[in-house]
Amino acid sequence: MIKKISLFVVLLVVSLSVTASAAVGALVLDGSTTVGPIAKTFAAYFTKKYGVRVTVSESGSGNGAKSLINGSCTIATMSRAMKAAEIAAARQKGVNPVASVVALDGLAMVVHPANPVRSLTKAQISGIYRGTITNWREVGGPNARIVVLQRESNSGTEESFKELVIGKGVQITGSAETQSSNGSVKSRVNSTLPAIGFLGHGFVDGSVKVIAVNGVFPTVATVKNGSYPVSRPLYFYTNGQPAGLVKQFVDLPNSAEGKRMITELGFINR
Amino acid sequence: MNIGTRKILDRSFTAVGIGSIVVMAIALMIVVVPIITNGIGAVFFTGTVEHRKMLFSEFKRGDSENLSSEVASSNRYRAKVYGMLTGFEAELETMAPEKKAEYQAKYSEVRAALQALLGPLPGDPEPMLTRFKYGQTRWEKAEEKLHDLLYESKWDNSNPEVMAKEYFVSRAIGFQGTSLVKLFPYVKDNFEEILLPEFTFYWGFITDSSVDSHFFGGIWPEIQGTFFLAIGAMLFAFPLGVVAAVYFTEYARPGFLNSMLRSANSTLAGVPSIVFGMFGLAFFINTLKVSESKSVIAGALTLAIMILPTIIRAAEEAILAVPKTYREASLSLGSTKWNTIATVILPAALPGIITGGIISLGRAAGETAPIIFTAAVSVGSAIGLADVLTSPTPALSWNIYNLASEHEAAAQIRHVQYGMVLALVSIVLMLNLSAIVLRARISKKLKG
Repeated sequence: MIKKISLFVVLLVVSLSVTASAAVGALVLDGSTTVGPIAKTFAAYFTKKYGVRVTVSESGSGNGAKSLINGSCTIATMSRAMKAAEIAAARQKGVNPVASVVALDGLAMVVHPANPVRSLTKAQISGIYRGTITNWREVGGPNARIVVLQRESNSGTEESFKELVIGKGVQITGSAETQSSNGSVKSRVNSTLPAIGFLGHGFVDGSVKVIAVNGVFPTVATVKNGSYPVSRPLYFYTNGQPAGLVKQFVDLPNSAEGKRMITELGFINR
Repeated sequence: MNIGTRKILDRSFTAVGIGSIVVMAIALMIVVVPIITNGIGAVFFTGTVEHRKMLFSEFKRGDSENLSSEVASSNRYRAKVYGMLTGFEAELETMAPEKKAEYQAKYSEVRAALQALLGPLPGDPEPMLTRFKYGQTRWEKAEEKLHDLLYESKWDNSNPEVMAKEYFVSRAIGFQGTSLVKLFPYVKDNFEEILLPEFTFYWGFITDSSVDSHFFGGIWPEIQGTFFLAIGAMLFAFPLGVVAAVYFTEYARPGFLNSMLRSANSTLAGVPSIVFGMFGLAFFINTLKVSESKSVIAGALTLAIMILPTIIRAAEEAILAVPKTYREASLSLGSTKWNTIATVILPAALPGIITGGIISLGRAAGETAPIIFTAAVSVGSAIGLADVLTSPTPALSWNIYNLASEHEAAAQIRHVQYGMVLALVSIVLMLNLSAIVLRARISKKLKG
């Protein structure tokens, strides 16, 4: 019995090592959950069209940057620009991060559909997130304590939000709940009447209500012309100027098909 | 203590025991029943003609003649709906501008609801995303979408002191006096003829790859990835674990080093799995560079380290449980120590060792944290055996989490998520059952 088992194990190991061969030009994408839908759709399209395997992980923009610096992904998808510290770390390891813009994204402020509040100013949102406004009554809503939702520190969406709305270096209130992805913010808002959160534009659906910021709703037009105040570009980061397959992939947002996929997913073309 | 008190104590202890078993059984039912009923819904459900269209064009499956006759019969009813749309569009052109703008907004909502129900309408451009190419493939989802078409959800804000309440308004009322008002009762009355619901057994859910990030298709890459990871982990952990157990029980001399090793092993058993995940990333990928990026091999090695202590413990216990007389008999016949271990002790301990191994296999299959950073991706095709050294893979445990939280349309594909949960639970259950069977067979063989 022991002999049989050990023989089996040896055989398996041998067959594994024999059949192991280098993968043919596979692309590895890692990073933002916001860029996730675009990355996954592009990956399926790319595999279908060129027969190249593309894998996508959604572990957050910060992880995407780390993976690129460690050389463990070919393209980092990020919902914020790389920070100076990350670029310095990359340079030290001989990695030269090059950004290309995939699409534009309006960060939608969302509340439960039952919430009668239709619009908030940037100052009001900032007050809510800093903890100076704690009841919906203070911004023209019903008498209910505001449940503030934020994203984890790894999230590019969180950093963009901080930068665009409450200002860099300002602390978000300690009572804010942290959610780990756009999807979980959406389901938390949908199940919590007095909640407020922010989502990438492509994640908005009928289960939550988008409110206007400074009186402007995030739409294709307002994000494109910059009148919606909370919008940001989404990036693909590569090591060095993209070439070959990587270039073909990174250039997808410029093609007619790529543009249509981005539109259908609810993001905004540059 | 007199006999009366003793009896009462005895009885109450029995009652507490039975009570706790009942509570456990109820808890198990509460967990397992929804998993099974919802999970089965991914494979057995009432499918519409859209499901059969999707199967035919994405997987080349189904009877093309049958399908085209079905599509033709459904299109006869749809044509009337489309006719009403064009009729109303013409009517819109004749309206006064402000009235037209008012209806236009409402009409685009109706169109969107119809697109969700029936797929692209005539005149729509062919969508790039597969999820928009078909209407509702599942009957229960189609009924929800029908409700969206017939009724508009509104929120009652009359009391500013409390949150609004939802109520529904029939869309037909909004189109009173126009030609479109007939569309709503028509779709409602001919709903079955339009979508042709039929009981469907979609076995492809197990064997197909996903289409358009799990909107359609099955979960084969995830199942395969789970097996690769679990079996890969066993390939490393099982031989190592048995060797270590033999060392601990047969060769190690009691001493400082030995007790250190033992307590290290016990500590390893208590380390949270996410720590193994981080360790796997830092050690196997960033330091040893077993692969350029995430790969099955890195994930399997990480899982192997995680299950190693359990295997060592189980093997140790099994070896210690072998009666001392076996060993003495073998040695007294002049056998060497190694020979005794290989031919007497290990075979006698095998049932216990294998049980420990298979239970750890189940654990490796179900763990998420160790593979997040080392092996799992949210989208990827099924990989071949040749790619395990370089490619990451989707895996059930991670993709269940991904679909539950990160997927952009999680609420629309709940059935896939339940199906994955059921598949994972069945795999673990099957592994544990096979452990029981194997154990019984081996001990029977040894006795006989």
